[in-house]
Amino acid sequence: MAKKTRASVIIDMTPMVDVCMLLLTFFMLTTQFRPPSEAEVTLPVSHAAFKLPESNVMTIWVTKDGSLFLGVDAQQLRVKIFGEENKLRPSVKVPDKQTLADLMVRARIANPKLRTVIRGDKGTPYGVVEDVMNVLQQVKITRFSLVTELETK
Amino acid sequence: MAGADVAQPKKERKGSTKKAKKLHRVSARVDLTPMVDVVMLLITFFMLTTVFTTPQTMEINLPPDETPVEVGESSLLTLRVMADGSIYWNMGIERPQRITFSDLRPLLMERIASNPKLITLVKVQRDGTFNQMVDVMDELGIARITRFSMAPFKDVDLKFIQKGLGG
Repeated sequence: MAKKTRASVIIDMTPMVDVCMLLLTFFMLTTQFRPPSEAEVTLPVSHAAFKLPESNVMTIWVTKDGSLFLGVDAQQLRVKIFGEENKLRPSVKVPDKQTLADLMVRARIANPKLRTVIRGDKGTPYGVVEDVMNVLQQVKITRFSLVTELETK
Repeated sequence: MAGADVAQPKKERKGSTKKAKKLHRVSARVDLTPMVDVVMLLITFFMLTTVFTTPQTMEINLPPDETPVEVGESSLLTLRVMADGSIYWNMGIERPQRITFSDLRPLLMERIASNPKLITLVKVQRDGTFNQMVDVMDELGIARITRFSMAPFKDVDLKFIQKGLGG
């Protein structure tokens, strides 16, 4: 009886806090919040296994109602193509196909490494996508990708 | 126990005796549990909001402008996708046959196995959806048909299908 001593229940939390803070800092620094996009698309699913490259991407959004948006990932390039006021916008609405062609040519001149991807909505009429592909062919972009979600089954 | 003993007894003695008597040493041990709670909450938040899944892409190569390519009739498979989702296929100038989407994959696999030089032409009606195009292209990809091209769906194609079904 006399030998039994009650172990202290107070645990030193400091190392735990240290580790937690470290993790917190890591996640805070690595998180990139997805900027709100004006073009909302639901991507189709496929079994394609190529990953979307992280930089040097030029994206053409084709929304459900058939309107076109163009966006590039680098902010410097956005300033060059769309002007200073559109620096923070991930995509800018393109009124017609001719403008789209002009903008894409300008973007490709500014950054020849740019890769073109099309983000089309599931319900986009195929005709619009066909038109976009024709524009791409016109401006001699013969290699491009369609963005899809990975099918999980 | 780290950081618990901060006060230095020597300094206390140097101070006036009046003060020393009144001074109660406050315990330096702070309960860190709420802090850990908050930090854990934040970690969970950041972990859940971090997007690890980058979308997949399907690569397409367009032929550099209108360069006509001669294709042998026997190795040309044409797939026509109608706006209502029905799919018709034919070899060369044979009559088009209707096929369901689930039968498409075995058909493509069988065709590519019998003729590795097979060239596939996909025609999607303009009223069709982007999803249909991606689905068909995906099937082609699964069947390892890498050589295919997209062509516009013309009125001729519609007549061709109607004629093929009627006659």
